[in-house]
Amino acid sequence: MMQQVEELLQRPPIYSFFLRLVGEEGIQLLVRFPDTGEHSDEELAENTGINLNSVRHTLYTLYERRLAVYRRVKDNETGWLTYLWHLQLDQLDPVLAEDLERVKEKLIARERYEEENDFYLCKTCGAMYTFNEAYKHEFSCVTCDVPLSHFDNEMLALALRRRLQEISETLG
Amino acid sequence: MTDELFDEALQMIQSKSEGVLQSELWKLLDVDSRKCSRIVKKLIDTGMVERHEYRKNGIKTYLLKSTKKRIIDPSLLMAGEHLIPCVGCERECVVESCELLLDWMYELAFVGLEE
Repeated sequence: MMQQVEELLQRPPIYSFFLRLVGEEGIQLLVRFPDTGEHSDEELAENTGINLNSVRHTLYTLYERRLAVYRRVKDNETGWLTYLWHLQLDQLDPVLAEDLERVKEKLIARERYEEENDFYLCKTCGAMYTFNEAYKHEFSCVTCDVPLSHFDNEMLALALRRRLQEISETLG
Repeated sequence: MTDELFDEALQMIQSKSEGVLQSELWKLLDVDSRKCSRIVKKLIDTGMVERHEYRKNGIKTYLLKSTKKRIIDPSLLMAGEHLIPCVGCERECVVESCELLLDWMYELAFVGLEE
């Protein structure tokens, strides 16, 4: 597992993906997660030296994406429940596919917005206006009171279209 | 059964990683449920689709999933070295005016120019 994790994390997009989801400490937990067996959060915190709250946060974040799963065990004497965790990183491909599907929807919406609108920019403060907004304020910036310039968004729209094309190809 | 319907059904199932419910599929294909069952049987026989039992509002149906393992290229979430802000984002999503997304789009456009 450890080797598998380290191999995965050597790929920059995968490293960035996990860094966003679980942070530096979460990545440390992934790397130090024991190769075999199931482990309680407390045991993981103790063995890895990572703070218990951080371990829990990482486990639940991974759980939401099915990358970690638990088994609940009841102690018959005390009645306490223990959660025993293991990683499920072989699920990463479908999980990435789901994220990519969500991203695709967002990029489609943004591309449409870029396509359907004309934009005006305040070169002083950087504020962006759609045609309607700019028209309402007589093509001057509400904050700076200077004339707005037309903004050519074609390079942004083109970049989105290209990426969407590539995403559609990979999602098949 | 026409091959077009077979292909259309297969494409619909393959395009959804979470799968398609058989009870939805026949509506999407605009055929009756018996005809849809025949198409589904053929898809399963070819091994391109698998069927799992599924209950929706207490009614039994089937979830149809593609058996094709998709190899996802995670670099499509990146613009240069930057992961798209949408992954793991907890903000209220306003995709039209999200400045984080705009920054990412600039990066994407610049990377595109360099290539």
